Amino acid sequence: MKKRVFIVIGFLFVLLPLGLLSSSPAWGEWENEYYKELLGFIPKGIVEANALQTPMPDYTLEGLSSTTSYYLSALVGMGLLFGIYFLLLKVVKHEKSH
Amino acid sequence: MHIPDGYLSPQTVIATYALSIPLWVVGFKKLKATLNEETLPLIGALSALSFIVMMFNIPIPGGTSGHAVGAVLIAMLFGPWIGFISVSLVLLIQALVFGDGGISTFGANAFSMAFVGSFVGYYTFKALQKYKFAPFIAGWSGVVASSFFIALLLGVQPMLFMEDGKPLYFPFDLQTTMVALVGSHALFFGIVEGIFTAVVYKFLQKREALV
Repeated sequence: MKKRVFIVIGFLFVLLPLGLLSSSPAWGEWENEYYKELLGFIPKGIVEANALQTPMPDYTLEGLSSTTSYYLSALVGMGLLFGIYFLLLKVVKHEKSH
Repeated sequence: MHIPDGYLSPQTVIATYALSIPLWVVGFKKLKATLNEETLPLIGALSALSFIVMMFNIPIPGGTSGHAVGAVLIAMLFGPWIGFISVSLVLLIQALVFGDGGISTFGANAFSMAFVGSFVGYYTFKALQKYKFAPFIAGWSGVVASSFFIALLLGVQPMLFMEDGKPLYFPFDLQTTMVALVGSHALFFGIVEGIFTAVVYKFLQKREALV
């Protein structure tokens, strides 16, 4: 079953640029300007939100094409997930050996 | 469905974290009990699959887009608590590394997408298990239930938090969020989640024994 999950991941990974085709934002995840246009103002809480500066905002890296960034984002995200589970397994084994 | 920072009032942020933290504690205990050399690659790969499937933004009529989540598949294979924690980790990485979903709203997003999605999907699957279409309905209902809670949290903001007649946080009312979010998930993204869950579940079950 493990092998088959990796086959599915590989399949989706190859198709990843398809995920970039839509230029429409998700409902409720608009730019702040959208509220300005629609309501005439941007709600205070949304203006004042101190959103974190993230390393790869919106799955992009400066200087790279959107496709390359998207591929890299997928690798980084999946790599981090495996990293977390490996650390957790180490913790579990450590706890069991004591 | 990822609620960004600034969309929920501090009170809502506190309430949703207060709800999620004890659930994470229970879930982590279950994950630690399940995690070993055998299960790690599979749980890791299913989480990676959830991460990558959320990158497929599908446009729908009305100028918006959305995606499947992948929580129900993990819940069906490893139980709802593992689905909940796995997708919580996916959402955490999305928030911290990619700015997809806020930090203050992580509790709300994890509760709706990871917890509700996994549990509703899992128990729907259990209830319908003898039917062939169970994985599809499970995937569909998990994601639609998630969208209901996201819509609820967003939609109550303008009912509760106004200043000088203007909404302070997310501005659209409950009816709008319910129609837009639950409607689009029931008609489109739920179908995508259902097909994804059913196709991948069937593919994984083929010939090979479970785990």
